[in-house]
Amino acid sequence: MLLHTVSRSPAHTALRDCVALLGPDDALLLLGDGVYAALAGSEAAALLDASGVTVFILEADAALAGIQGRLLPGATVVDDDGFVALTERYSRQLAWY
Amino acid sequence: MSPVPAAARKSILVVSRHAHPGSSLPRSALDTALAAAAFDQPVTLLFQGEGVLQLLPGQDSRAAGVRNLRKVIDSLPLYDIETLYVDAAAASALGLPPDALPEGAQWLDAAGVQALLARHDHVLGF
Repeated sequence: MLLHTVSRSPAHTALRDCVALLGPDDALLLLGDGVYAALAGSEAAALLDASGVTVFILEADAALAGIQGRLLPGATVVDDDGFVALTERYSRQLAWY
Repeated sequence: MSPVPAAARKSILVVSRHAHPGSSLPRSALDTALAAAAFDQPVTLLFQGEGVLQLLPGQDSRAAGVRNLRKVIDSLPLYDIETLYVDAAAASALGLPPDALPEGAQWLDAAGVQALLARHDHVLGF
């Protein structure tokens, strides 16, 4: 069980590489420019959807990006406390940037 | 150095996934691996994505005035870092020649990388 965090926009290789290497019990948290991957209708959102991975999005970054009302269905928005809770649930984390 | 008790040993996987002329991350990845090994922690290195380009032989860093990264990588066994893996798909896509594989390093397919990520106590991305 690994929590992957992606902080680069989907135009970079980080998201694609991460999704290709996800394990069955892993989860993905999008933050920083990484939140754009959750923009509904984007290629990145389709990639996430097809992967079946559990997706979390950091609330403040999604709001800053202006995508809070256009998120990939099924993605879960978390605030900073939720981020901390995720790091408790997933004891290991890998940052992709 | 006094031996570290087995219970205090944590397996560490360092994932290096950036190319080096444009980033200091590859050097930081190697420094982290070396520091962990100096504290007797078992370290594994994975070169993934464009990070595989660090392995190109024939690097000449004299004009740039920095360390020759490939030489540092080749010296890792001297510091008890013996386990090196290279993402085969990225190497193929980016044109890394097959003979660029450092001595003792192994190619890994996607399933192999997934297994590697799953089995280490700590995973550090650079």
